[in-house]
Amino acid sequence: MTTLDATRPLDTRPSADNYLTHSRGVLSWILTLDHKRIGVMYLVSVLASFLLGGVFALLVRTKLLFPGEVSWMSAEAYNHFFTLHGAVMVFLVIIPSIPAALGNFVLPIMLGAKDVAFPRLNLASYWLWLLGATCVVLSLLMGSFDTGWTFYTPYSTTTRFGGVVPVVTGAFILGFSSIFTGMNFIVTVHKLRPPGMTWFRMPLFLWALYSTALIQILATPVLAITLSLLAVERIFHIGIFDPAWGGDPVLFQHFFWFYSHPAVYIMIVPGMGIISEIISVHAHRHIFGYRFIAFSSIAIAFFSFLVWGHHMYTSGQSGLMNVVFSAITFSVAIPSAIKVFNWLATLYKGSISLTTPMLYALAFLFLFTIGGLTGLYLGTLNTDIHLHDTYFVVAHFHYVMMGSALIAMIGGMHHWWPKMTGRMYSEFWGRIGCTLVFIGFNLTFFTQFMLGSQGMPRRYYSYDQLPGMAEAFKTYHHISTGGSYIMALGFVITAIYLIHSLYRGKPAPANPWGGRSLEWQCPSPPPHDNFKVTPRVGDCYDFSVVRWDEASNGYIVDRSLDPELNPNAPKRKGHH
Amino acid sequence: MSFFSFQLFRNQRVTPFTDPTARFEAGRFGMWLLIATLAVIFASTLMAYVFVRLSPNNIGNWPPPHMPPLPQALLLSTIFLIASSGTMHVATLAARRGEPGVGVWMVATLCLGCAFLGVQTYAWIDAMRDNMAFTKHLYAWTFYVLTVLHALHVIGGLLPMLVTTRNAVRGLYGPERLAGITYCGMYWHFLDAAWIVLYATLLWGSTR
Ligand SMILES: [Cu+2]
Repeated sequence: MTTLDATRPLDTRPSADNYLTHSRGVLSWILTLDHKRIGVMYLVSVLASFLLGGVFALLVRTKLLFPGEVSWMSAEAYNHFFTLHGAVMVFLVIIPSIPAALGNFVLPIMLGAKDVAFPRLNLASYWLWLLGATCVVLSLLMGSFDTGWTFYTPYSTTTRFGGVVPVVTGAFILGFSSIFTGMNFIVTVHKLRPPGMTWFRMPLFLWALYSTALIQILATPVLAITLSLLAVERIFHIGIFDPAWGGDPVLFQHFFWFYSHPAVYIMIVPGMGIISEIISVHAHRHIFGYRFIAFSSIAIAFFSFLVWGHHMYTSGQSGLMNVVFSAITFSVAIPSAIKVFNWLATLYKGSISLTTPMLYALAFLFLFTIGGLTGLYLGTLNTDIHLHDTYFVVAHFHYVMMGSALIAMIGGMHHWWPKMTGRMYSEFWGRIGCTLVFIGFNLTFFTQFMLGSQGMPRRYYSYDQLPGMAEAFKTYHHISTGGSYIMALGFVITAIYLIHSLYRGKPAPANPWGGRSLEWQCPSPPPHDNFKVTPRVGDCYDFSVVRWDEASNGYIVDRSLDPELNPNAPKRKGHH
Repeated sequence: MSFFSFQLFRNQRVTPFTDPTARFEAGRFGMWLLIATLAVIFASTLMAYVFVRLSPNNIGNWPPPHMPPLPQALLLSTIFLIASSGTMHVATLAARRGEPGVGVWMVATLCLGCAFLGVQTYAWIDAMRDNMAFTKHLYAWTFYVLTVLHALHVIGGLLPMLVTTRNAVRGLYGPERLAGITYCGMYWHFLDAAWIVLYATLLWGSTR
């Protein structure tokens, strides 16, 4: 009998009663325990913060059109803007973007579960995010801060701007928001997998979220305590980070990077998970090297704790430590490269649909490769001494943080948009938006590799005094700023067609792309309960059981063809 | 309208688990993760302390002249905390076996926990009277930071402890219902272990 149940197609008919319409009123949203609504609230909040951080970035880029002083932005204001850009983008946007927004929405559905393991903790995490964001706004009102997003001491404990304590409090609170999400995901993945889904049957996005969650709960506490000690030191004028009191500023750097390097993987690993999903679904081909991709996520999580010292080659730490950190840093390239090779192998001979999500995934492959390879120059001791604190570093981490993590997030948003909203967006405008972002991004940041390798320091307000280089730097800065405007245009177009789709978009089928994992086997948008009964699952990357269905204008997962759900299924060629 | 929505909130499903045992197991697992997180906080703070203690400036100058050794009272508070961990354990055992006395042992745990905080407060006042001002030297600074960090976690634990004790006195815990008292106990034993490590590190640090 179980076979019969398992092979029956899951109910994917759209219904008037879905998670969006299940209950009404503002309170039914802000007090919701539904992971889907919490995910949507996170998504809206993160995108609003992205707009804010983006405006700061455009202000910074616009200033840099002019080599010297400008009347409309003082050096002081400039320092505030680049600091705010960094802090907002890191703590409010990229860290929560994929796990808390998309992950929250997708993870339980992929598991066929009704919710995450601790729904109330999930809501608490969102409320903490709001509180943390409020603290950041408060810090703007209390004098802002100009320390850079890294809050290096003793500057952060002595700067006269009063926004340091509130923003540090905000980052502390946001840290716990992130920890709670991580705890929830780990327990959910352990305890709520559906029948048939062993660890090595999980969608790779779940492996990525799981690895990320491990880093979240083990690294973020270090940031929490470091920032608390910093705040105490700033208030009482004594502490362990200021040499004037017998402290050591390098100790702060060790603590800060012990969190912030793993944090880089909190940002990128979920993005890699999204790319695994997009590439296999939109190339309609079984993911290549499943186990390698899964293990490499865990390997990256493990290595992430051992390489923080590569941010401190010039801090005066011992030469031996530099060498050790450099060597371990190189080893991170291995799991990253494994993933890229497996994605390329998946694409090879796949039947690639050049949909908007796929375009974002291809952009990711290109940008992540550049971001990853330029990281090797920074991990190499002698080249890093030259490149340290130049625009080369800025370009490198933007290729990884924005070109990879954020592009993956936007790609994932397009991938799951029909599921989340029940509407299709315009593919035409989607492709235009993606292309503009891609071109703009490369114009903005590739030039910065040139700037940096020729010696333009990061964070400088003016560059007209740099001997002999001012003219060359000016040209690069102009290209870079021009690119940032193109990128902004791409994002504006994206925002317009996505919002337009909410009102005028065609109703989305349950499975618009030909996906195989469980979220494509429930209606778009999903009902409040996701699935009435927890469904059995087979191989979520076996696309041979997916077929086009004219009636619903979408794909259908034919569960009766799956040999794991139906032992009598006809044997097919090429199945392993 | 808004009242109606609030009712909706109260009526929401609070767990995806249908089986109470599975839900309990998930809760215990979640508690372990929380404890791991807190352990990282304590470990990194202690690491910072060791780093400062061993820095060349401080070797041979710790405690600095004119600063007292660690307050003696900490020994007493340590005994209280270990004892509270013991009573907590007995309470949990009683609940698991369905024996009476869960409430009494929980009340004892709560009292010992409060006694611990009382002695800690006394130790701080004592140290301050003894010329150990927070802002004077890193020796004093680290002492207060470490002990206050721990005390804050104890205070944070007392609220759920209060609820658990109330439930225990009402006789709500038994073999059928163990979640609250188990989670509470896990957290409490962790605070005990963290304090022992912390106190030992302080003792080691404050000898010349
Ligand atoms: Cu790093």
